Amino acid sequence: MIKMKNRQILPVTNADEINQLLRRYGVKFGVYKNGQFKEQFFPFDPIPRIIESEKFKVIEKGLVQRADALNKFLFDIYHGKNIIRDGIVPEDFVYISSGYLPQCEGVTPPENIYSHISGIDLVEGGDGEWYILEDNLRIPSGASYPLIARELTRAASPDVFSENGVVDNRNYAKLLKDTMDFVNRGGINAILTPGRYNAAYFEHSYLAELTGAALVQNDELYVEDNMLWQKTYSGGKTRIGALYRRISDEYLDPLTFNSQSLIGIPNLMEAYRSGNVAIINSLGNGVADDKGIYYFVPKMIEYYLGEKAILKNAPTYLPFYEEDRDYVLKNIHKLVIKDVAEAGGYGVVFGSDLSEEKLADFRKTIINEPRRFIAQEVIDFKDLPILENGEQVMRKADLRAFVLSGETTRVWASGLTRFSRNPDSFVVNSSQGGGFKDTWILSR
Amino acid sequence: MKLLNFSFSTKLTFDNYVHNHSFALRCMPIESEVQHIVNCEMSISPFVPTKITIDAFGNTVTAGYISKEHRFLDFEINGCAEIDLSKSKTDYMPCYLYQSEYTKPDKELTDFYADVSAKCNAKDPFERAVFFSDILSDIIQYEKGVTDTKTTADLAFELKKGVCQDFSHIMLSLLRMDRIPCRYIAGLAACDGETHSWIEVWDGEKWLGFDPANNCPVNEDYLVLSQGRDFGDCSIDRGVMFGAYTKQLQLITSSLTTAY
Amino acid sequence: MDTVTIERKSNISTEHSSRIYWLGRYTERAFTTLKSLERLYDKVIDRDPEHYKKYLDCFGLNDIYGDYKKFFRSFIFDKDNCCSAAYSLERAYDNGIVLREEISTDALAYLQLAKDKLESSENTPQGLVVAMMPLEDILYGFYGCFADHVYNGEIRDIFFCAKSVERVELYIRLKYRSEKILSESERMCEFLKRIPENTPYRYNEKNLEGLMKMIYSKEYIGRESEAISLIARLFDGGAI
Repeated sequence: MIKMKNRQILPVTNADEINQLLRRYGVKFGVYKNGQFKEQFFPFDPIPRIIESEKFKVIEKGLVQRADALNKFLFDIYHGKNIIRDGIVPEDFVYISSGYLPQCEGVTPPENIYSHISGIDLVEGGDGEWYILEDNLRIPSGASYPLIARELTRAASPDVFSENGVVDNRNYAKLLKDTMDFVNRGGINAILTPGRYNAAYFEHSYLAELTGAALVQNDELYVEDNMLWQKTYSGGKTRIGALYRRISDEYLDPLTFNSQSLIGIPNLMEAYRSGNVAIINSLGNGVADDKGIYYFVPKMIEYYLGEKAILKNAPTYLPFYEEDRDYVLKNIHKLVIKDVAEAGGYGVVFGSDLSEEKLADFRKTIINEPRRFIAQEVIDFKDLPILENGEQVMRKADLRAFVLSGETTRVWASGLTRFSRNPDSFVVNSSQGGGFKDTWILSR
Repeated sequence: MKLLNFSFSTKLTFDNYVHNHSFALRCMPIESEVQHIVNCEMSISPFVPTKITIDAFGNTVTAGYISKEHRFLDFEINGCAEIDLSKSKTDYMPCYLYQSEYTKPDKELTDFYADVSAKCNAKDPFERAVFFSDILSDIIQYEKGVTDTKTTADLAFELKKGVCQDFSHIMLSLLRMDRIPCRYIAGLAACDGETHSWIEVWDGEKWLGFDPANNCPVNEDYLVLSQGRDFGDCSIDRGVMFGAYTKQLQLITSSLTTAY
Repeated sequence: MDTVTIERKSNISTEHSSRIYWLGRYTERAFTTLKSLERLYDKVIDRDPEHYKKYLDCFGLNDIYGDYKKFFRSFIFDKDNCCSAAYSLERAYDNGIVLREEISTDALAYLQLAKDKLESSENTPQGLVVAMMPLEDILYGFYGCFADHVYNGEIRDIFFCAKSVERVELYIRLKYRSEKILSESERMCEFLKRIPENTPYRYNEKNLEGLMKMIYSKEYIGRESEAISLIARLFDGGAI
């Protein structure tokens, strides 16, 4: 039993059964090992992360606020650039970001929405406070896993759900479909996958099934008259009005971006610029989820919405500002330093791991290139229990929340909780052997 | 003010049939404060319906799709433009201040910049460009066939040889290290029988054209076809096609003459 | 699984039509392979232990097995033997996995189950037939699930047409009784006629006529390869 304020929660205990069901339903992700493609089952831990209703209401408000501000920021950056002119965000942070795409200048996505699906990573601190770790506004993945896991746990342990008031999370497909329908420019919804050998192929095909969208690959698509079409087997064509693409910006259109891309659709940018197809998420979002921009998100919320940020960032310092630089130089031994130009876990250094000599070198680098780095306090995040060989052990875990922006901005009452299987590791990545948990939002 | 007649044609031939051919052409001259297009006709063969849009850099993009088998793609533009350098162009974009794909310097080019900028006393951005170009024209030799459309600024600088495209890229790299916004221009010039390339320098208020390959400011004998951060944004034709072809041959002819 | 309303009309892509077709052929190949191996097993256990060589003859294969036990192991479990049930099941799965949104996660789960069942029964000490039977149940479940979940008639037609084509071919190759071949062929014709014109799986009239003539007149007996080559050309000239 898990004790929560005033009541007890009956946990799911039949992990093996559920993992067997996950196996039966082919819940896998792909990995490349020594150049060979392999499919792995994503280990599921039956002890859910539980968030109480009141607590979630706060998180929900904070996430809606954050996603709205980020969307406004993206619109602003690719149009009037007021936030730069008003001195809130220094221009260098915007334009050196590899996610900033000048090709998108002046292009307005349908309904002005840039980030339709925002995957926002949070951690719960030891103090019970939630902190934002990072925003993922390009192609955040992972929603399908808790979605199918819930379907199966409800079947395998019905008592648990009749005893505990857990908000049903299986409306994700409806949220996603509503979002696609809202921005659709005429024609069907489609999900563009790079193919079966992509790590998230299960998710692409599962979401296509649940939303009724066509699952497509680039070789069956073409752009003609600045509209996007799918070829059909009878020699006809079907118009696509909303494309939920699961490939990144630089590969999307070989005639605008990387000309070597074999998975893109030539002239898709022309159709998009002409307003004939919605691309989900829109192009150029990388500028808003950049490490260097993260620092400015609370300021953005104040600037665009006139509100204080409800959810806190991990305390972050920009050596670019003199005051922060002094702090970073003095306290470097206890900070995490991140290189804004690097992505995917690279360029992250814990000051505590460095020798005195290395620290001195690093200080010099920061003085010479202050724009290149951000520094953060190391958050003491709360561990969660997981079952390992029948015993409960504590592990690091984060939460990826999904915010969907369509006619309104809505937070999915669930999320992907990933945990590290290694007791010393902060890395919760699925490709590195991590597992996942369901995330329960209590309804009362 | 000067009236220019222009014509430009390219013939793209494949050694085998191709199909599902998507293309994007940036060969219609830009309409701007200093360049007014009096008239311009375009023809494409095989016949294919096309759509025209204006991209983020202000280029006119002609896009089309040919699904049927074909072995060639010819396109041609003919028209007349009015060039008036007494007016000024002000379509600024912040990205022009930052290095791009083709202009990222390596150590050699960075060191060279440090050396040259130390010697330069000029304050005005355009004068600084003139100063850099003077030095470059002594070091870099104009030579065809050593570089291609993929050659980056640092590579051309290492070779110390190249064509107009390479001169432009090296200049852009130097000026951006100097924190001067500047952009790449692809166009036609009376002095060149093919397409030509030069740059524009932002002086704080407007764009000023400069031709690094000829080490001279741009006059009214230049017609802008496309502009962007570097060659990558400006290629006159880009295409993706399917088929068993192994080679493609491109013949380009152009002319730019004063109209009376 | 719950799904949001599916409102797609028949806009099958060329790629998917071919995946559906091969899904039909490979599941049937796995199924009929298991069925005929079962019949064969009944013969070898006490009547003719060498009878498996006749099965090999039907595929023009040499006996590299030496005894029937090794032969059966290979033709049921060996994924590298392209005539085995395991091989066909893998190929069926490969085609099915890219069709989730067309055929449903529920149907796909049966293919995963079948694969898992086959792998787990490889080391069971019991008779091979016992190992095979639950697999057939699972495949029956798959067919039922497919017919039940797929609302798009064109997809169902391609699938069941392919399944029937495969069965006719295997029956001819494995020298099934002529009545069985005839009734399956007639069923195949029914399916074939439902496939719309100008699509990749619209039959070639001349080749279908030739094939049916051979079947009605029993001329295929002794000329199996000729009949099989007509099947291979059944869709010649279809729009691809």
